[in-house]
Amino acid sequence: MATADVVVVGAGLSGLTAAIALAHDGARVEVVARGNATTHWMPGGFDCGSFPGAASPSAAVEILEARAGHPYALLAPDLERGLAFLRGVLKTEGLVYSGDLDGPLRAVPTAIGGTRRVGIVPDAQAAAMEPWAARERLVVCGIAGFKDFSAGPMVASLRRASVWGGDGLTARPARIEAVEVELPDQKGRRNINALELGRGFDDPAWRRDAFERISRAVESTGRGPGRIGLPAVLGIAEHAAVLDDARRFLPLPPFEVPLVPPSLPGVRLYGALRAALLRRGGRLSIGEPVVRIETDGTRATAVVLSAAVRERRVRAGAIVLATGGIAGGGLIGRSDGRLEEPLLGLPVDAPPGDDWLADEAFPVEGHPLELAGIRTDAELRPVDSGGRSVFENVRVVGAMLAGHRAIRERSGDGVAIASGWRAAQSLRLGRAESERERPSRRGRRPAAATPVARP
Amino acid sequence: MTIQDLVREATYLEIPLSADECLKCNVCNTVCPVSRVTDRFPGPKYVGPQAQRFRLATILPPQSDASPRDASPDHTVDYCSGCGMCTIACPADVKIAEINNRARAEIQAGRRPRLRDWLLGQTDLVGRLGVPVAPLANWTLRNPVIRWLIELVMGIHRKAPLPVYARSTLRNQLRRSAAAVVDGRTASDTDPSPDRAVVLFHGCAANYYEPHVALAAIDVLRRNGFETIVPEQVCCGLPLMNNGLYAHARRRAATNIPVLAAYARRGYRIVGTSTSCTHTLKAEYREMLDIDDADATAVAQATWDICEFLVDLHEQGRLDTGFGGLDETLPYHAPCQLKGHGIGLPAMDLFGLIPGLRAIDMDHDCCGVAGTYGLKKEKYNIAMAVGDPLFRRIREADTARAACDSETCRWQIEAATSTPTRHPIEIIAAAYATGDHDRTNQPAEANAAT
Repeated sequence: MATADVVVVGAGLSGLTAAIALAHDGARVEVVARGNATTHWMPGGFDCGSFPGAASPSAAVEILEARAGHPYALLAPDLERGLAFLRGVLKTEGLVYSGDLDGPLRAVPTAIGGTRRVGIVPDAQAAAMEPWAARERLVVCGIAGFKDFSAGPMVASLRRASVWGGDGLTARPARIEAVEVELPDQKGRRNINALELGRGFDDPAWRRDAFERISRAVESTGRGPGRIGLPAVLGIAEHAAVLDDARRFLPLPPFEVPLVPPSLPGVRLYGALRAALLRRGGRLSIGEPVVRIETDGTRATAVVLSAAVRERRVRAGAIVLATGGIAGGGLIGRSDGRLEEPLLGLPVDAPPGDDWLADEAFPVEGHPLELAGIRTDAELRPVDSGGRSVFENVRVVGAMLAGHRAIRERSGDGVAIASGWRAAQSLRLGRAESERERPSRRGRRPAAATPVARP
Repeated sequence: MTIQDLVREATYLEIPLSADECLKCNVCNTVCPVSRVTDRFPGPKYVGPQAQRFRLATILPPQSDASPRDASPDHTVDYCSGCGMCTIACPADVKIAEINNRARAEIQAGRRPRLRDWLLGQTDLVGRLGVPVAPLANWTLRNPVIRWLIELVMGIHRKAPLPVYARSTLRNQLRRSAAAVVDGRTASDTDPSPDRAVVLFHGCAANYYEPHVALAAIDVLRRNGFETIVPEQVCCGLPLMNNGLYAHARRRAATNIPVLAAYARRGYRIVGTSTSCTHTLKAEYREMLDIDDADATAVAQATWDICEFLVDLHEQGRLDTGFGGLDETLPYHAPCQLKGHGIGLPAMDLFGLIPGLRAIDMDHDCCGVAGTYGLKKEKYNIAMAVGDPLFRRIREADTARAACDSETCRWQIEAATSTPTRHPIEIIAAAYATGDHDRTNQPAEANAAT
């Protein structure tokens, strides 16, 4: 669209959460992104905080929000509301999540035979979180020719007690076994990838055959209670039906183990978010990098996108900057050790370049650069070093926010959801004040506003 | 080597070397509509950035031995439909579709083209031969026995959606009606000035099969104060490029560019109703054919998709918005070529201005046909499977018509869904007509309302 109430730059979890929440309230929203990325790589769950010493995501959030400068210090109350909203939206799109902020963090197996402690996961991964009963076994089922998931080495590693926490307190399976099956039409195939397998499972006849083969392999390992660990390939478009069938036809409760990209749990999440946005009248333009954002000094006025020729300009009442921090290209490192925010030239809170390698490259407590990002006020407006708001109609969300170590704290998804939600609330209130007449909630809206002479 | 040669080489390598940015993240494989439905095409990452290192060995001159190497190690690239979804989704700006298109051309280079592929590229020839005998040609192309023979001999699938010839070409109709300026000369001072006229690049589809689309555009333009100049032109060359026939395509470009550039330099905007032709003028002459001289750049910069042009007029407050109501639900498919323009969804913007019209973006990547891809015997079923979710949604919508900007997509959708599928400009023209009708019939009421 040529004019939007809000342009969201970035199509990851934070940007899409903000966009959906805004569109839900009747705003005309356009999401622009240079490509797809983070959603297609993520394991699909919502890590809101997980580290030793925290028994639940809430406990982790409580520890983090007490840290000066952590995004949760501003956003902790928004996490629960944002998460509830997002889960509601995703459920409508057929994607159900399991677990809660107050529920326990539990160790679940990873594809290389480690564990990670998670609190909120897609339904398909939920069975991995149940506490292991005394005699329960785990059967990991690999797929012949599928190199992204090797059951044998994974199981060899999982058999070590230390992998499960090493404290002797964390329950783990009594027995762990590996099996491998050849799935229909895959005989002699090499280079099978998760997408092909996912599409195979989408087909009802194919998956019936596949589940029979998996069942036979699992039954060959003996009887008794237990669970089946499967690579995360249980369907793409038809995932919900595939999961139903898996539960019906397999002899033990199955769970998915997320894989390297392309990560199907992430692909499904993106599909659901995209559908939810379009359903609410939002637009999504992928593949058009933002060249620059125009401002009048205190407000951002338009987003300029690259096009096949010329440029495309979308006038914006407000902008949500969800450009993904250093990994997403939202922050650019210069050879002299400066970090820059390339679109608005926002002040970046970052350790001086001299400190980057001061002690060691990968210190245990985390690298100082992980904390780099944009500082904001409570409304997520970017601020300068004196705490003054720089652009009043800009909101900064997700990995762009300074002060959190998304990977080490496993807080990235929580920060993304809470900030996306907060940004939407903040802009919604702003819009309500500035506009006497708001468009109806899901009514048709004109695609372009009153014509304005172009500068 | 001159500086010019160096620049040319750098430009030539810009696309092949973009493979260097590949993160191997697989996003392109995730979005590829072809590998979604067939294992004959392993996916854009495998045939694109991954195979590219072997191709680069032949592009970059080898230091010592000049032994010939296989220019394209992976011939499954022939199953790439060229829809471009991979390039769009790539977070690292790798020009995957462009790499694959060039690789297809490499396979063809130096070979005698297959008759079928050559013929599918000759849209002008096929059009010129068909129109004079339109009734016969249309009957022939709808006769199942003949189509079966064509499939057998030529490899064009018997069910492939071939267009219907018009009784008279657009150019002939325009000459007769004098609705728009059309003749053999180039830009001149006697043309109406660039703020009152645009140049139409009608392409082959509007000339030979769907003159009504171009006529609707000319009407809408006139209504908004623009005369239409229709200069000499030939096929843009895209069908040739899609069949790997780059040398043939370059000849088309060499014919079109000087004529269009003369207008572009005088400040005229070049408008087209085919998103494929306009995308060729905008981007593919440069990205595929390496034509990036001043003339080609001037043409690219002056080229507009018709809906993009109208949205721009609206932005300037110059669009006549006297649309009458169209009380209908309209499924809309944004063709993959339009996505390559990077102009958003201008048709949806315009639909939003029409009272009562409920346009719904089908949000489907590709209808499958991708130009001439889905016409081929060995690819027809793939193309139908690619478009299947779109066809199902349109069938379920059960509407009087659907809309789509690109001609081959319209024919594909129509054939697959039996839903008449229109260019957005036809919908716009219809909304103007309804508005006029309402104003003529109910002047008292309209006046009372204001």
